[in-house]
Amino acid sequence: MCYFQGMKIAIAQISPVLGNLEKNLETHLRLARKAQEQEADLIVFPELSLTGYTLKDLASELAIRTDSSEIFLELLEASKNIDLVFGLVEERTNNPGIVYNSAAYLSGGQIVHLHRKVFLPTSGMFEEGRFFASGRQFKTFPTRFGRAGLLVCRDFLHYGSSYCLFAGGAGLIIVISAAPGRGVSGDNSQSFETSRMWELMGEAVSFFSSSFVVYCNRVGFEDGACFAGGSYVFSPYGKLIQRLPYLEEAFTTLEIDLKEIGQARKSWPFRRDERPEVIWRSLEKIIRQEDED
Amino acid sequence: MKINAPLVVKVLTSFIREETKKAGFDRVVLGLSGGLDSSVCAFLAVEALGEDKVLALIMPYQNLDSEGVRHAELVATTLKIKWHKIDISPQIDAYFSLFPTDNHILKGNKMARERMSILYDFSAREKALILGTSNKTELLIGYGTIHGDMACGINPMGDLYKTQVLALGHHLGLPEEILRKKPTAGLWPGQTDEEEIGIFYDELDQILYRLVDLRKKPEEVVAEGVDQTKVRRIIEMIKKSEFKRKMPPIAKISSRTIGHDFLYPYDWDK
Repeated sequence: MCYFQGMKIAIAQISPVLGNLEKNLETHLRLARKAQEQEADLIVFPELSLTGYTLKDLASELAIRTDSSEIFLELLEASKNIDLVFGLVEERTNNPGIVYNSAAYLSGGQIVHLHRKVFLPTSGMFEEGRFFASGRQFKTFPTRFGRAGLLVCRDFLHYGSSYCLFAGGAGLIIVISAAPGRGVSGDNSQSFETSRMWELMGEAVSFFSSSFVVYCNRVGFEDGACFAGGSYVFSPYGKLIQRLPYLEEAFTTLEIDLKEIGQARKSWPFRRDERPEVIWRSLEKIIRQEDED
Repeated sequence: MKINAPLVVKVLTSFIREETKKAGFDRVVLGLSGGLDSSVCAFLAVEALGEDKVLALIMPYQNLDSEGVRHAELVATTLKIKWHKIDISPQIDAYFSLFPTDNHILKGNKMARERMSILYDFSAREKALILGTSNKTELLIGYGTIHGDMACGINPMGDLYKTQVLALGHHLGLPEEILRKKPTAGLWPGQTDEEEIGIFYDELDQILYRLVDLRKKPEEVVAEGVDQTKVRRIIEMIKKSEFKRKMPPIAKISSRTIGHDFLYPYDWDK
């Protein structure tokens, strides 16, 4: 595989208008143009960036079919100029009525990959399982920048998800998120206590899978919940390259050197020494045992 | 229970700014009693929107809480916000002359709803969103009047316990005398919340924090050295006041019913 050396990523830490596809599409197209003007190769938006997060019954009403939605076609068109990652409510084309909380990777006018959120938080303040079907796989895919993987918010907090992307050869893990902040007793005076949890995982996953981790979280309030922002990029050495401000809309472009993936994997051969087949067999046994209990 | 005050101020002022805009307003109105909660709320509102976008209504009944009125005026003049003093005595007296009572609670509830009614009238007149000033402590134990002081457009402080509001008040630089005085609902001269509830806010908040935030069982809280009767009484207060924190239930008869399976976000299309 031939990696490009340099890659410029734009991160759009936005606050979507809840339930308004047209206005959010406008924002996507405007920021995609801005990113392109700044010579970015890829722009990343947060989870459910086309609709907003707290959708409830709106989820099924705003669902998009990737083969026929005009909004989706406009985004496909925009992807001829810059690669796009964004969040949408996706209705299955071959199985109408089933809707997912999905992340799309579009490039060159084509769908490169759609990831359907697997882990739907449904407890406490979250009720995604009530309104969405859950995805059933973690899969890496080839991009202009090497193999990549997509995760949506809570997916990332289950570390098996990142492991699958690592085992699948991803050098670039993109996480789109709508993570509300909680807890104001922490020592970080700039953000909620929960922001630390995301950074902890970003640092650990980037280092132990020797991959870039790009995390784009949204900001703004919905029904009283405050989305914390603080999007970031970690290098394959587990080093923070950039963190965007907490709690405020922000837009940035940054350059990453994809050569670092290979360099990091030579320094720390986690990837070379990995034994997914052992993990698989072990998991199989564990699952079989649990089933019998 | 400690709070990071600068962070809380940042979140709450952003909340006030964003929600005011989303609701289609550029200004807010609030009832200012001169107590800690409404004073802190006024400070937050000014920090969020600027002094010219905050209107305070001071609504005394006779001389029931003249110290409160003095403090409310002090807050309004300190913040340089526009304020009106509206004496609610005529309408309250007119009503109770028809249905006399000595019950302070009945009178207090009536006054709270009169103030609510005036706030909603001013909200429409001035095109200003009503800021609620209830804190988490009183919301949890139901120490507020439903459709009275609990009525509002948005509530920035409903997730802060009383003692946390006090910490925020110190951080925001509220006048010392407001920070020092005993909290009162102003139900009768000299009334204090703590005497009426029968427990000091420090202890009450500690118990609520353990039960609610830390999800501890009552017996675990008791095992930590808290008086069992107090814990039981607080849990009773929480249970009995759940109706104040909910929309009234709708009898479901159709296939899709508001509140049951007709579910849309509050910030719909905003």
